[in-house]
Amino acid sequence: MNCYLCDRVMTLQVTWRSIFFNEQGDVVCLRCQTEFERIKIGCPICSAVGDEKCLDCCKWENTEYAGLINSGRSLYRYNPAMKEYLHRYKFLQDVILSEVFVKVLQETLRNEKSVIVPIPMNEEKLKKRTFAQVDRLLDAAGIPYIHLLGKNEVGLGGKSKAERTALQDVFWWNGKPVPEKVLLFDDLYTTGSTLRLAAKVLKEKGAKEIKVVTLIRA
Amino acid sequence: MTQLEEFLTGRIWLRQFIPFSNEQVNQAILNGSITVRLGIVDGKQCTRCLEKSPEKIIPFYCDACQKICYYCRHCIKMGRISSCTELITWSLPTPLPLQSHSFNWTGNLTPLQQRASQEVQKSISQKKDHLIYAVCGAGKTELLFSPIFEALNKGLRVCLAAPRTDVVLELTPRLRAAFPNTVIHSLYGNAPEENGFAQLVIATTHQLYRFENAFDVMIVDEADAFPYSYDLALKRAVDKAKKKDAPTVYVSATPSKLLLKQVSQVSQIFKRFHGHPLPIPTFQSLWGYEKVFAKDQIPKKLVDWVDQKIEKHEPFLLFFPTIELIEQAIVLFKHKYPAIEAVHSQDEKRKEKVMKLRRGDIPGVLTSTILERGITVPNVQVAVIGADQSIFDAAALIQISGRVGRSSEYPDGEIIFFHNGITRQMDKAKKMIISYNGGL
Repeated sequence: MNCYLCDRVMTLQVTWRSIFFNEQGDVVCLRCQTEFERIKIGCPICSAVGDEKCLDCCKWENTEYAGLINSGRSLYRYNPAMKEYLHRYKFLQDVILSEVFVKVLQETLRNEKSVIVPIPMNEEKLKKRTFAQVDRLLDAAGIPYIHLLGKNEVGLGGKSKAERTALQDVFWWNGKPVPEKVLLFDDLYTTGSTLRLAAKVLKEKGAKEIKVVTLIRA
Repeated sequence: MTQLEEFLTGRIWLRQFIPFSNEQVNQAILNGSITVRLGIVDGKQCTRCLEKSPEKIIPFYCDACQKICYYCRHCIKMGRISSCTELITWSLPTPLPLQSHSFNWTGNLTPLQQRASQEVQKSISQKKDHLIYAVCGAGKTELLFSPIFEALNKGLRVCLAAPRTDVVLELTPRLRAAFPNTVIHSLYGNAPEENGFAQLVIATTHQLYRFENAFDVMIVDEADAFPYSYDLALKRAVDKAKKKDAPTVYVSATPSKLLLKQVSQVSQIFKRFHGHPLPIPTFQSLWGYEKVFAKDQIPKKLVDWVDQKIEKHEPFLLFFPTIELIEQAIVLFKHKYPAIEAVHSQDEKRKEKVMKLRRGDIPGVLTSTILERGITVPNVQVAVIGADQSIFDAAALIQISGRVGRSSEYPDGEIIFFHNGITRQMDKAKKMIISYNGGL
């Protein structure tokens, strides 16, 4: 089989695990895998570089969004390889690339006690993109999730942080019961507005503890 | 011709990406001048690139259609084609408006070039396929000028396709200079937008997917530049882009057996334009070079070779079998010779680094097979490291050897195959080069 990213032939690795546990082989070659940079240590909320709470997350604590997110982590840095990946996955709509991070997402979310809630897409935008890129990442890894939120027709891209913060009604509750422990999942953490806006709605509707996990920290 | 017609004639285009207003397109669909087709058809085949292998035609749940759709990964970089995307073509071809062309080239052809040029011209007028089998540095492009000029004057639409962007970029200015009054489009990934109707198109073979039934003459440069498995995709692209009875002219220094068998009209040029013989490769053992590199050392014989070139201020290229080995080796080389550079296929600065080598700003470049064709560096000296590895088949080794001695000021130079055991492919390459020199 060929690597999903560089299209070079990958030699099939037969191991005892692959025979007995029917483990799926990698869809990306070793060389492409090492191009991605895993985050080992970072801000306890957003995984920004450093080993304590980052300046950005501290600033959020002086706003009405204080304390909404109890903890969180991001899995990868937004390096050139990751930018290229996201471009191909989201904008070129190469849906099959949802399988690239299956193992890492399984390791991170398999034993999760909180209910996993993906950040939704706006209906219009979903029709245009033809697939929900955040849901598909979880689907590929076989991670169960429920949708509790809907999204209004506003894109955050290209807006300044002040503008983003001013957008109050981006998300709405879809009426399903909200559990006490929720894990919000998204593909990319940029300013943190999206996740805080979503967390605010869920806390108002009864969530007690909210964790966030994102694939990438921009 | 309206602008829409100029743009779309001979093309097959993703409707959502066409640079015209929706009303204009709708109007043309209503009056029958544009035909709409679906992106992936029943047999799960891509309508644009004709790909149909299940590894490339991928099913997914489409939220726009709320059902399973398919998309094509093979040509996805040109905008994704799926079951529910629409492709449009111009359905009412009008005769080409006769354009006037001028030919502005003052160089001379050697007698061999001259003869081949006339033979090509004859094949085109008889609508027969033709192969130009000519060694690296024979001056293949120049001999095409006159047949292209004649075709243009007859009102024929001509395409010159090459496998790599580098080659298209190299050919474009030369053809624009030779045909100053002709509208020429140069098409490759991320190329700037071109306007009007082009009677002469220079394109990467990939860009041919965006044409259908378009060309009266198809010229395929470096026709062997794909590994065997890609031949079919290339052939599909060429066949789809040209009109059914249009002749194809193949140009190659190392044609495959298949090509030699398929095409009956052949012009051979086994002599370089400057008349000097091709440099013949020498073999030099480099036992266990992979292990030596793995121990963070450069093999002694290779160091000596590089030292010698640096001392004589001769630019050099070192060809490596794998990107992994380049990445390992460049660290060691940089340590010893800080100015040295490495390039590979995804390197955005590739062109820049080759320019630097040409100007003498850097002593040498480590490279994958990406630089095996299309580049000319005066007085370049070449070594292949691991010439025994399977990626270096006879055709690749002949192409690589063809980098040496191209300019008339420096018609000679060294080509050396460092190996871990001599392979048949190495022998074959050497024998072929010797036979070319013998004027066989």
